[in-house]
Amino acid sequence: MSDSDDKIERLLRSAALAGEDIPAAPPFGFETRLVALWRSGPGKPNGMANLLRRVALLSAAVTLITAVAAFREVRQSREIGESFSNEFAIADSAIQSEFGR
Amino acid sequence: MDDPDASALVKAALQHDDEAARELVRQLYPLVAKLVRAYRFRRTSEEDLTQMIFIKVFQKLSQFSGKVPLEHWVSRIAVNTCLNQIESEKVRPELRQADLSEEEQAVVENLAVSSEELAPDKRFASRQLVEHLLAALKPAERLVIDLLYLQGRSVAEIKKMTGWSEPLVKIRAFRARHKMKQQLAKISSKEQL
Repeated sequence: MSDSDDKIERLLRSAALAGEDIPAAPPFGFETRLVALWRSGPGKPNGMANLLRRVALLSAAVTLITAVAAFREVRQSREIGESFSNEFAIADSAIQSEFGR
Repeated sequence: MDDPDASALVKAALQHDDEAARELVRQLYPLVAKLVRAYRFRRTSEEDLTQMIFIKVFQKLSQFSGKVPLEHWVSRIAVNTCLNQIESEKVRPELRQADLSEEEQAVVENLAVSSEELAPDKRFASRQLVEHLLAALKPAERLVIDLLYLQGRSVAEIKKMTGWSEPLVKIRAFRARHKMKQQLAKISSKEQL
């Protein structure tokens, strides 16, 4: 065993003999508080939590549907705009060719 | 805690017997408190963490099959909870000479000049010195040194408590000891200057 090994061994042995001040019993009321927390904990969600969860899910669904509808609306109006601009281009070329004569 | 006793308490607690649940807490408290202390949390309160561990134990109580001793099952929950919690406490200060009290410096000197066991009146200071050395280790290394040397548990026992393999326990202990030796050597050399 090297010198440094021996030093650390002796130090740890001495420290182990010093003991620790860990309480053998829980603090007053600890177990009662804990059992109460467990019984009312997230293992059994209450009515309010369920309601909030449902509202959140519903809101997410509504947002998604609205986003899809808005996207379709934008695409449709862009197509209409494009068809209008085509018509204008046809009319322009017809006018120019008429005046050209 | 005897296993038939533990199983009976678990069964009763699951059947809404609050007194049985409280008795489980009372019996398991020293084990959980020792494990929490082994990590040397700096910022998280030990009582808060002990409570968090017990809540997890109770939430998972229906999953306890009784195939392993209850204490080992609870130990693993405690070890994992502590490791997750201590992630936020990653800063590991390096030990400096100035951090040591006069008594601790006397222990360092004593170790350097004598090869005999430290005197009983040096135990408290040596414990404090070990605490300082542990603070510079990784959480898992702190735990393994505490269990192996300060609590005097065997490698097989640590394996059951933590779920780590025996080679992993030995490697972690080896690395931790190596780091502690380096720190101690560094302090000793400064001490002798």
